[in-house]
Amino acid sequence: MLKPVAYSVELTIPDNEAYTTLVTLVRLGIVCRKLERSEVWVFDVEEARADDLEAQIRSIETIFNPNKHVLFALGSPRPRPGEVWVGERDEDAGQPRPAALREVRLAGRTLEGVFGYRRYKGWRLWESEGEVASQEVIANAAETLLCNPAFQVIIT
Amino acid sequence: MKISAARGHRAARVAVPIFPGSNSEEETVRACLAVGLHATLVHWSAGPAALRGYDAYVLPGGFAYEDRIRAGAIAAHDAMMDAVVAAAQRGVLVLGICNGAQILVEAGLVPGTGPARRPTAAFAPNKPGGRFVCRHVYVKLSVPPDRCAITTNLRAEEIIPMWAAHGEGRLAASRHELGRLHRSGHIAFRYCDRFGNFTPEATPNGSPFGAAALTNKDGNVLAIMPHAERDAWTYQQRDGAVRLDARGDAAKMLAPAGGIRLFAGLARALGVKK
Repeated sequence: MLKPVAYSVELTIPDNEAYTTLVTLVRLGIVCRKLERSEVWVFDVEEARADDLEAQIRSIETIFNPNKHVLFALGSPRPRPGEVWVGERDEDAGQPRPAALREVRLAGRTLEGVFGYRRYKGWRLWESEGEVASQEVIANAAETLLCNPAFQVIIT
Repeated sequence: MKISAARGHRAARVAVPIFPGSNSEEETVRACLAVGLHATLVHWSAGPAALRGYDAYVLPGGFAYEDRIRAGAIAAHDAMMDAVVAAAQRGVLVLGICNGAQILVEAGLVPGTGPARRPTAAFAPNKPGGRFVCRHVYVKLSVPPDRCAITTNLRAEEIIPMWAAHGEGRLAASRHELGRLHRSGHIAFRYCDRFGNFTPEATPNGSPFGAAALTNKDGNVLAIMPHAERDAWTYQQRDGAVRLDARGDAAKMLAPAGGIRLFAGLARALGVKK
């Protein structure tokens, strides 16, 4: 039985991309005081192997570099309040899938017990200090800048 | 819409706007100068007013704003692009190369089937694998030459050599939109082999229809992914016969060739008779 397990990887050093994005959103009239960016990974993992997964992820430096990242498991594979996830549209949706599941390989490593994954860019917006952005603001930010619907999808 | 172009009364003035991270501006200016255009680099910090009054704009390649969010996304909303978008909407000629093409797509100027700054297509990560490709390619004009002002003076189905150097060059859009772009002549150039055959192997990035370039409905904006300016001189030609013919003759070796045809098309559209 597979279950989705989500991790957020965030920078501990200044995030220039988030800063540029915040400046651009404000220029476009989006009410946003603070913006955080994260890499979000959602893995489809065998329930019996779920407890081992974090250690496997922490050992892949292209995902997690302890010198500049913090990694933590999300309670559920859904965005947190004030957050939107942007990922590439699955263009193979609806196509026949291989009958036999294969374990995922990432950065040359086999992730044991993992049979699929999705990757998103997470954007968490605050309208003011301590107040996360409303769904309306998030949708506006996604439509205006954060997502190109020609090839991306959002999850809110 | 009437295409706005200089008619040879004075040297056509072309602005080459550069953003932090642009990296092909010098080659682009050099190619423009070689075909008789008066090209000027305009720094992003000069502000949008510095871009007013030009006869055309050529957005160069690179990684504007480090491709933050997506390739071209931040630059498309930069104040500098306000001037380019306004000019394009008046019919002024705009050419975007590689990252410049990505900016034009993100700005909604091509294919231009939606409102400005609301992209209806994308140059998305390459397939398979999403890897950066750096490869010599050929592209073939796949619309009637007069469909796009910049290609009007090219021969029908003209083949031009270029260099593809991008990680995000695959045309992406909804299935419906892709069909529309194909049917409506928005796909101005397609990748082909040196003989002009459209083959999957000739396309370096998995782009549907082998699409290498998009133009808008009015034909005054052209966004092309491969770099014509990196294959614009005889010594850069992959075709050994071309280089062999110039061997021992410095002037011939340094003469414009190959990809310069795209810039020559721009110059002719602007009334330059050279």
